[in-house]
Amino acid sequence: MFKNFLYSQKVAPYVFVLPFVLVFLIFWVYPLLSSFGMSFQKVTLGQEAQWVGIDNYTKLMSDTIFFKAVRNSGVYMILTLLILIPFPMLFAVLINNKFMWGREFFKSSFFFPALTSVVVAGTIFRLMFGEMEGSLINSLLGVFGVEPVKFLKGQVTGFIALVALASWRWMGVNMLYFLSGLKNIPDDYYEAASIDGASAFQKFTRITMPLLKPTTIYVLTISIYAGLAMFIESMMLWNGNNSPKNIGLTIVGYLYRQGIEKNNLGYAAAVGIVLLLITMVINLTQLAFSGMFKKED
Amino acid sequence: MKKETAIKIVLFAFFTVVCLLILIPFYAVTIASFKPGEDLIRYGLNLKFDLSVMNFDNFVYLFTGDHAYFTWFFNSVLLTLVQVTLTLLVSATVAYGFSAYEFRGKNFLFICVLLIMMVPFEILLLPLYTLTNNMGLMNSYSAIILPGIAGAATIFFFRQYLSGIPKEIIAAGRVDGASEYGIYLRLILPIMKPSFAAMAILNGMNSWNNFLWPFMVLSSEHKYTLPIGLKTLLTPYGNNYDLLIVGSFFSILPILALFLAFQKYFIDGMTAGAVKG
Amino acid sequence: MKKKGFLALMVVAMVVFLAGCGGSSKEEGGESSVLNAGAGESATELSYWTFVELHGQHFEKMLEKWNAANPDRQIKLNVTVMPYDDMHNKLSIAVQTGVGAPDIADIELGKFPDFLAGTPQLEPLNDVAEPFKGTVVQSQLDLYSKEGNIYGLSTHVGATVAFYNTEILEQAGVDYKTIVTWDDFKKAGMQVYEKTGKYMGTADTSAIWQESLLLAQQGADLTDEAGNPKVNSPELVKALTMLKDLQDNNVISTIAGGQPDTEEAYGEYNSGNYAAAFMPLWQMSRYTNYMADLQGKIAIAPLPVFEKGMPRSYGGGGTGTVVTKTAKDVQLAKDFIAYAKLSLDANIEIWNTLGFDPINMSVWDMKDVTHNPENQFVKYFVNNPFDVLNEIKDEIQLIKSTSASPTINNVLCTVTLNEIFEDGKDVQKALDDAQAQIEQELK
Repeated sequence: MFKNFLYSQKVAPYVFVLPFVLVFLIFWVYPLLSSFGMSFQKVTLGQEAQWVGIDNYTKLMSDTIFFKAVRNSGVYMILTLLILIPFPMLFAVLINNKFMWGREFFKSSFFFPALTSVVVAGTIFRLMFGEMEGSLINSLLGVFGVEPVKFLKGQVTGFIALVALASWRWMGVNMLYFLSGLKNIPDDYYEAASIDGASAFQKFTRITMPLLKPTTIYVLTISIYAGLAMFIESMMLWNGNNSPKNIGLTIVGYLYRQGIEKNNLGYAAAVGIVLLLITMVINLTQLAFSGMFKKED
Repeated sequence: MKKETAIKIVLFAFFTVVCLLILIPFYAVTIASFKPGEDLIRYGLNLKFDLSVMNFDNFVYLFTGDHAYFTWFFNSVLLTLVQVTLTLLVSATVAYGFSAYEFRGKNFLFICVLLIMMVPFEILLLPLYTLTNNMGLMNSYSAIILPGIAGAATIFFFRQYLSGIPKEIIAAGRVDGASEYGIYLRLILPIMKPSFAAMAILNGMNSWNNFLWPFMVLSSEHKYTLPIGLKTLLTPYGNNYDLLIVGSFFSILPILALFLAFQKYFIDGMTAGAVKG
Repeated sequence: MKKKGFLALMVVAMVVFLAGCGGSSKEEGGESSVLNAGAGESATELSYWTFVELHGQHFEKMLEKWNAANPDRQIKLNVTVMPYDDMHNKLSIAVQTGVGAPDIADIELGKFPDFLAGTPQLEPLNDVAEPFKGTVVQSQLDLYSKEGNIYGLSTHVGATVAFYNTEILEQAGVDYKTIVTWDDFKKAGMQVYEKTGKYMGTADTSAIWQESLLLAQQGADLTDEAGNPKVNSPELVKALTMLKDLQDNNVISTIAGGQPDTEEAYGEYNSGNYAAAFMPLWQMSRYTNYMADLQGKIAIAPLPVFEKGMPRSYGGGGTGTVVTKTAKDVQLAKDFIAYAKLSLDANIEIWNTLGFDPINMSVWDMKDVTHNPENQFVKYFVNNPFDVLNEIKDEIQLIKSTSASPTINNVLCTVTLNEIFEDGKDVQKALDDAQAQIEQELK
């Protein structure tokens, strides 16, 4: 009887999706709700949590360090977008060119950095951007007569290191995304364009770019997400969450600092909720603008 | 013809330069793994190929020294294997449910799948930590595996893949008297094989390099994964640069070997999630 | 993939997975570092977290003695060493949630107030500390106390002294023994820079040893009587203005790593790029461990002062060993750490193994212990550290540790000192900003 019920066509789909429903409820909905609730509380070691209304949020709005973190995450996101979308796209087009030698080799070596863990990559970059005369970047600059730079102590130079790390790891991956997008563009389009006498640049702007739009939107979406949620890269580059003058502090880093280093669970929850709002707003706006919701396929 | 050759040379030269830039960090860490850790602290990570200070001491220490490196290494391998296998099986099952049936609440649930892909996991760290704690899963691999066992991106990909499989197979299976689950296990899963390779690679890479959540959950040294273990070496009270650098170097090798052997799958796996135009 | 292979894989995965789950949450500590120390079958197993590998070695020595002396109360110790930040963060979460905490842990002084917030989830240690009250420095017990309860047992006094590289000083024609005031130091430093092109000392940006010692000399503190922050006090302005002047005259300079107690700085010192460090006495062990090239070249001396007659030292840094509320056998853990940290034997071993200045000051007078020619620290340094320690014995001041301390420390070390020494921001302005920032954060 029960077996018949379980094996019926009506019930089977629910059995199939049950694991997702469970995971979603237990590991997403519940924590999200409890995070939301916690953001209205003050939690003290060894004592009952107190309801404090919107205190955490009002405090957040006058917290200069929090705004520093938001600015850092925002700037990081924008810089990675500016670098990790146009360049990989360009590289993909170039590497896809029929005049290219050693295509497979270059594809592989560009992708290679993505295989390293952030811990390893971050440590290597921290040492490369060390402030000593003999550290890799400084020794290269030294060849051109540049004095050693304290990269990880300055806002601009620190971000150079941070963005270099991100670019190094993701350039090849994004390039592959665009390459797979390029595969879906029929060759006829280009041939037709050639007959009409279009230049290579025209072909790129009129055919390649518009037809790469779905790929671009995908890369844009994951890059926004990754940019705003960045934390470990900064933690590894500065060997901890306390960079000088907080130049490397990100929103998630601040959440970690408040929630885990300082035990302000309620306050940290408020930081998390604000981050969630920021991510949602940016991504939904972006998707709306790019017309993702209109097209149904 | 002349012009084509010129273009070829320019392109090749350009990519060679970029490629060299990308490979510099690997070169530096390779060189450093042959130098004493003290050298690194004193002169920084650099490109100097100086045979007079280079030796195999670090490698000897890596393989014979008294440390937990290979415990971490083995843990990482084990965790990656288990996590990938379970995630793929569960996600494929869920994806099949979404793809093969029409049922009440289907669209809502699928929107939830898409939504997960947009919520930064990091904001759930603290409540998830408390939850894990209350479930008694602290310091266990289950705590790392369970939250991601129905991976949104993986479900999404499998569903896309399944939409290309003709529904007639299912109908034929029903005619033959197979149960709903039998159809999935005997008819569909075998056809999905090619898509598993790509997803295995994608999930495997994520799992192998996963850091933040395992780092919060695991507290005993003998359960650490490789990234966590390597990070514990970064302490001014231990002077562990010898092991750190050679360990970092060595941690790249197995995944590099896998990559070279299964390059095509890696690349397919990485791009599989991208929306097809 | 054939069906059979697939199912087999699934079964294997499940088995491994379930095996991984079983009994997992109960284990703590690395199995690779269980200290048996002669413990028998019936020994109680206790876990211990620390961020200093050497502390584990000290405990190992003490454990052997304990197990031999207490056959009916033997202990096996699971030692887990984690990086500084990670250990404190994990411990903090563990005591907050009440799960996963070790029985015994080391908490660094700078983080200690965080663990005393609200209702401390640590065991009071008054009863086990009581027998040692007359023999150890009382202020070191007070340092880890709240409302009359002692929660942590101190490791050392941490008397701050000057470490001079005599080789560099000789090259420059400077005798460190003549440096009494900061003016002397400045003159000597300018001479060193002129003659050798090297810096005399460091302008620290990531630690406040220097600020603390300069405040202590003036009888001031980072907090007021009530424990509230006051970092823009005239005394601190004076201190930092003096340091800034030293920096402007090439006497001191910022260092890679931001302060002498970092791996980058060990390299700089070892290469002979800086001639002096003002650090608590435990910096000695950093010299012996990480700066082998300087063996036989480093002399220890009292700190320079603003004016002759001012106190020449303060107790810097420190680690309090605690017992958590969730400990398996609270009394056993308490008795053991009292034995391992406060007993006379322990204090002698703390000097022998760790090279720290023990809090039982009678050890300072034990010539056979302090001047043991086999001791690695005695061998390394030009002069005997205890000759200096005994000279400044009555001058060792203390900077209070209050609930505001971690925040003060964090703001000064991440922001303010960088602004002053890296960006050249005005001292008064930087400290006013720091005060405002600290007050905002503590709200």
